[in-house]
Amino acid sequence: MTSRIKANRAIEIFALLLALVWTSAATAVVPGIEGTVTVGGGAGGNDLRAFQLWARPGYIVTGEGNTVYMWGYAQGIATPMNHPGPNLIAQVGEEIRVTLTNQLGAGVDTSMVFPGHVVDASGGTPGFMTNEAANGGNVTYTFTATHPGTYTYYSGTDTSLQTEMGLFGTIVVYPAAGQPSGGGTSGQAYDVDNSTFDFEYLYVLSEIDDAIHNMVENGLAAEVNMNERKPRYWLINGRTGPDTLFPTGAPYLPNQPNGSLSRTCVNHDVLMRVVGAGHDPHPFHTHGQNFRVIARDGRPRVSSAVSPVSDVGISDFTLTVNPGQTYDAIWTWKGENLGWDIYGHEPDPVTYPLPPHLPPLEANEDPADHGKPLPVLLPEDQFLTFGGFWSGSPFLGQDGTLPVGEGGLNPHGGMYYMWHSHTEFELINFDIFPGGMLTMMAVEGPGVDIDGTVCP
Amino acid sequence: MMRSKWNMRLNRIQQKHTIERIEIMLKRLAKYSVLALATGLVTGLAAGTASSEVHVQCPDDTNGNAIEDAGEVWTNPNQVCMHLTGGDGYVNMSDIEASATAVVPLNYDGSYAGPAQQRGRFQYIFGFSDVTGMAPEDVLIDGVLAAQYAAPTIELREGQEFYLSLTNVGMAIRPDLFDPHTVHWHGYPDATAAFDGLPDVSVSINMGNTLTYYYNVKDPGTFLYHCHVEATEHMQMGMLGQLFVKSAQGPAWDDLLATGGPGNAAQVAGHTTGDEYVYNDGDGSTRYDVEFALQMSGFDPEFHDASYSVQPLPFAEMNVTFPLLNGRGYPETIIQGDLHNSGNGLPTQPYDALVEATAGETILLRLSNLSVTQFYTLMSPSITMKVVGTGAHILRGPDSAETPTAPAVGEDLYYETNSVTLGGGQAFDLLLDTAGMSPGTYFLYTSNLHNLSNNTEERGGIMTEIRLY
Repeated sequence: MTSRIKANRAIEIFALLLALVWTSAATAVVPGIEGTVTVGGGAGGNDLRAFQLWARPGYIVTGEGNTVYMWGYAQGIATPMNHPGPNLIAQVGEEIRVTLTNQLGAGVDTSMVFPGHVVDASGGTPGFMTNEAANGGNVTYTFTATHPGTYTYYSGTDTSLQTEMGLFGTIVVYPAAGQPSGGGTSGQAYDVDNSTFDFEYLYVLSEIDDAIHNMVENGLAAEVNMNERKPRYWLINGRTGPDTLFPTGAPYLPNQPNGSLSRTCVNHDVLMRVVGAGHDPHPFHTHGQNFRVIARDGRPRVSSAVSPVSDVGISDFTLTVNPGQTYDAIWTWKGENLGWDIYGHEPDPVTYPLPPHLPPLEANEDPADHGKPLPVLLPEDQFLTFGGFWSGSPFLGQDGTLPVGEGGLNPHGGMYYMWHSHTEFELINFDIFPGGMLTMMAVEGPGVDIDGTVCP
Repeated sequence: MMRSKWNMRLNRIQQKHTIERIEIMLKRLAKYSVLALATGLVTGLAAGTASSEVHVQCPDDTNGNAIEDAGEVWTNPNQVCMHLTGGDGYVNMSDIEASATAVVPLNYDGSYAGPAQQRGRFQYIFGFSDVTGMAPEDVLIDGVLAAQYAAPTIELREGQEFYLSLTNVGMAIRPDLFDPHTVHWHGYPDATAAFDGLPDVSVSINMGNTLTYYYNVKDPGTFLYHCHVEATEHMQMGMLGQLFVKSAQGPAWDDLLATGGPGNAAQVAGHTTGDEYVYNDGDGSTRYDVEFALQMSGFDPEFHDASYSVQPLPFAEMNVTFPLLNGRGYPETIIQGDLHNSGNGLPTQPYDALVEATAGETILLRLSNLSVTQFYTLMSPSITMKVVGTGAHILRGPDSAETPTAPAVGEDLYYETNSVTLGGGQAFDLLLDTAGMSPGTYFLYTSNLHNLSNNTEERGGIMTEIRLY
């Protein structure tokens, strides 16, 4: 079955729904669970942070209306399973203990591995890579979070099939005083100076071959040939596009709690935590600006152990995210030297009698562009097709009049940029475009509140 | 050698097939024209919006053809204008033996362009064409069904101001489609939503009309561009091209040599007047003698055939079997001169991928990948490549502008290699130093060796030659 949906129409379908939930802001703090902390409870006198996860089947929905049978991790014995598994939030130096209870069904053993960490396993039975739990049983993993960074966890049992089925998640370890606190969004990712951030976001990239999931759902797991895997869905944080744009915690996506719609202000640093959680590489492209890589696989890109900054991370506009790798990068949109005033300031001799009769500079405005007009005229409405995130105005923080039914997804007049896999084949949900591995980053104008940080 | 500009005109006397399509277009235009005229009179001037239909915006360009004709005086010496169309057209693949399609080459004015060409499989495409220099009133007739692949290369210099007008001429072969188009300058620093060409967050231009983009060309490097409307479809169908910005360092150091005091940067770096550099490296480390732009991509012939015959598009089954370099497969990659298509005879594949230099010169390869399905690794088995830039940025660590709390670092991260791996949307700057090499023919090809074929025909795909003289 094949059909096409034009990009703007598909966005319209979701516009009304999105508008209804817009008041719950996109989360600028990386979502996750913090477990239970026992001060001094670790083997070395450090703090012990304990997590409990239940491996359990469930269903996710895809952007074109399909549902897919998944295996995920639940945070509680009776709460919905999550895909991906919950992001575990920890502080550097802590002892981490994860207790896994297996509820995947008769005959299915499971386990967890934690790349980048040295793990002791107890309980369960020894398996191929680590201790495994039989259906109904438990196993406990203990490790020390020795380095800050972005890490993964996933099943160590029948790994190729069980990770395809969805058994993976992330761990974020903060350096001392690095985690955003006190209702703020800013923090630091590593013990290097240029890992400070004003906002941070998590992008977990993965793929699904739903034919495999159908077989597992119907008791045919033993006949699955993973070498014949051919993904038809591509996901960020467990959602296909454009569901990636719905808020974190959306009640109509109970098994896929994490959105990836991201927002920032002019000249503010965004920490991108990008995770290759699937089986395939993806070229992740950030519209709007290059990013600077500062760390990979939980280690800062430094030329020596005493470098105060990440000094050998590269700048690029498309990041190759290989399976199993994590990247941390800083993205900063400055709006500099564009040749026109992005705020649309115009001379007003009445209000500002002194030449050049312009309003004062915005907080992060490039003085060289102040008051310069837009160098071209935009065509009239009937010659244009509008995107749902077009505010009606080219200027930051402003909107314009749009034809009835157009726009509506950009309440603050921000500038939106698509962040997506540049293997465009991955921007579909099965045969339907648009979808797949795409999300948005919005640069908001002055006065906009992003999760407690107000853009200057 | 690749050309960076096309000046094309199409005679009204075409094959009957095209005339029928033109009649459909004219009827459609008539409907929009009346509406546009009425609206334009009422609201155009008051609202400060552009007037209707084909409308090139290029300061001081009084006749709207985007070039400085005799009689026009362009006051801004840094201004560059270009007029592209977005529409459909034809190309042929490079499986010459397997498909053996005879082509009668025609010029844009309908005259014969030379001896018959033997080409491969016929393919319908969407694409851009360069109508810079064409009178606006001719574009919607003469610019139809003229898409080229790869799209016209955009070559700029740091410091210019670039006005890019995009006219949507519609799909002549698919009158059921009303797709808008955009240009996405991939990698433009501090891109703004209005000019980034992403339809979901911006505006895109409908059939029969023109949208003009403005770019302050502020950073040198190798970028790329493509249409971002229904990107999976429009990019697979061929709306992809190359875009690069030459650095200001060469001309700036020419001035320094001529006027600067002793011991200036140009002298220290050994600059000779006319030398060019990939980036403003400050030390001459990205100097090159000759440059070539190579873009990897590929066609899924079943997808193109489905589009041509108005069938549902097999997105989930997309499978590229014609890997391409600058729009051609080997050995057509080394044929200098236009390749004409078997649909309407026009030279719609103008770019070869042949690299030529004098032994001893430093070659710059501006390499990019716009495949919609895969990564490609490009190998230079005989001539070492030095990577000096990725993502249109010099390959150095952050400097004090990016790390204000720490001393300036900017450590050089150049490395030498014989292969580079690029995913879609990536661009690398590669310097090949041929000092000490003998004249002869060397190769560049993908080490995804199964991609060295044009569909079923072996010895094809992503391969070209480096000829040292």
